[in-house]
Amino acid sequence: MSEERGIEKLRTYEEINQKIKSGDAIVLTADEFIKTVEELGLEKAAKEVDVVTTGTFGAMCSSGAFINFGHSDPPIKMFKCWLNDVPAYKGLAAVDCYIGATAMSESKGFDYGGGHVIEDLVSGKEIELRAEAYGTDCYPRRSIETTININDLNQAILLNPRNAYQRYTAATNSTDKILHTYMGTLLPHYGNITYCGAGQLSPLYKDKDFETIGIGTRIFLGGGIGYIIGEGTQHNPQNQFGTIMVKGNLKTMNSRYLRGATYYKYGTTLYVGIGIPIPIINEKVAKSAALKDDEIFTHVLDYGVPSRDRPVVKKVSYAELKSGKVQINQGEVPSSPLSSNKLAKEIALTLKKWIEEGSFFLTRPVEFIPNYSELKPLEVKRREPKVRDIMTKEIIVGKPNDNIKDVAKLLIAKGVDHLPIVDDEGKLMGIITSWDLAKAIAHDKRQLHEIMTLKVITAKEDEAIDSVIRRMEQNNISGVPVVDQSNHIIGILTTDDISRKLVRRVIS
Amino acid sequence: MKMKLIYSRENLGKPILSEVINKTNLPINILEAKITLNTGEMLIDVPAEGEKLKEVSYLFQKAGLIVKEITRTIEIDREKCISCGACVSPCPVKAITQDSNWDVIFHEEKCVGCGICVNACPVRAIQML
Repeated sequence: MSEERGIEKLRTYEEINQKIKSGDAIVLTADEFIKTVEELGLEKAAKEVDVVTTGTFGAMCSSGAFINFGHSDPPIKMFKCWLNDVPAYKGLAAVDCYIGATAMSESKGFDYGGGHVIEDLVSGKEIELRAEAYGTDCYPRRSIETTININDLNQAILLNPRNAYQRYTAATNSTDKILHTYMGTLLPHYGNITYCGAGQLSPLYKDKDFETIGIGTRIFLGGGIGYIIGEGTQHNPQNQFGTIMVKGNLKTMNSRYLRGATYYKYGTTLYVGIGIPIPIINEKVAKSAALKDDEIFTHVLDYGVPSRDRPVVKKVSYAELKSGKVQINQGEVPSSPLSSNKLAKEIALTLKKWIEEGSFFLTRPVEFIPNYSELKPLEVKRREPKVRDIMTKEIIVGKPNDNIKDVAKLLIAKGVDHLPIVDDEGKLMGIITSWDLAKAIAHDKRQLHEIMTLKVITAKEDEAIDSVIRRMEQNNISGVPVVDQSNHIIGILTTDDISRKLVRRVIS
Repeated sequence: MKMKLIYSRENLGKPILSEVINKTNLPINILEAKITLNTGEMLIDVPAEGEKLKEVSYLFQKAGLIVKEITRTIEIDREKCISCGACVSPCPVKAITQDSNWDVIFHEEKCVGCGICVNACPVRAIQML
């Protein structure tokens, strides 16, 4: 399926590298190439320009580093290990580990994670190493506590399974609560939009059909040299959500382009700087490299819906996103990036400089990476309890004109804390809690409609329990009425139901 | 000038702000207010300076409030900042913007000190003062 890809019609890799060697290569950043194409036209620009450089600097959670510590005396087969209190993966040989960007410190939690360990290593800082073992005939040591720095290590290799998405969906929030997501802080009622990706500088969008970017492509990675070693996980190029897997020597990198980060109430990650040179080998590649922000589109999704399939709010171009305001529902919504456009430009310029100086040569891919790859969801094959399975179906309800004292007696008699208020047809109108009743009695109110909460948080019977628990946490409530499509009450789900019925299930 | 007014139990329930507005004839704007049963805090914007501002401050203090003049709210550590923009659109009063080079610009005069940007910053480059 890849026969037609990578035809070196305008120039070969050898010709480009020869020109780099003699200092004659014409290298432009993607921003500059766009201007050149506007001036000269695509055909002429493609003939003149040898290489287009790209850049991106964004949070890339699927990142981490393989580390080899060397052997202590007596030696240890590390079974568990921590770097600055961040757990590293130890399902490898005795003194190899993998520190992942999203692993979090066992003492500092969200404030410090694997991404920060990698940044600190690259900065040359001393890192606390702690490891435990069970002891074997060949590896008698059972524990170790020491410090390491990057120069002490045999190998420190950045190896990121998924980086540099071609483009990414943008985020907004339709709910009435502020949300803290991996797309940053989202204000209520479509208060803002956040987006990722460098648009017209985005490395993988500038060769969107993967004609030149493949296994073995030499790249700018974290301020040093890296290589593409294959497609990234969740690679989905036919929808312009292609990704790459990359590796490089951490010892050659620079912490300006590898930064540990924390998304508030979400977790830790690593900002990774990546720049890829696009050799203009044919006009199709040139055309892709010349794509502008107003020709690159993505969707704004509603992160207020905590589901895999979030609703699309709007199709939008990177030009509109970068303008700082997006039109939604006749209103102007402020938009801002999460990835750094400033650093993306800097990376494209740095890579250009390296090539012009003759210190960076291009490589022909050893093999192409797929230009089609299905993105499969994870189906839950075991039956999971839904709201209907653990909700209380025998509900006690009140009517708006009920007397407060009678209702208080009823709640005590039945031992419940939540009283949904319904109309004559059984449709939900409001809710009262035992706390509301206490306040009502203190303030001498007589009837339920005077004190009931009208804006009721509800659940549907086919919802996943975890989604409802999250909603209850967000709203700081301990129970939700369960309603059908026409708002008739069919049950109630309380934290009491969850702790008694669900926990018992898990234990049994 | 922004001011923080701190109410204690004794002065809750009195229309202090209305009285000061009536007396000074200034369009004082409430930026943020947290009032509970026995304490209260209010952030207000007083469009005045010099003697007029002193008068406003005096009137609030006379009514029994603690008055703090807010001159600085947040600080961005430029060494840590990666110019990403994660703090820009979450700012509810557009006090943080980005220029054409994507550098982050802080407009002190617009800031209401809500602190949303502090948590929004992925590299912890923003601090409340």
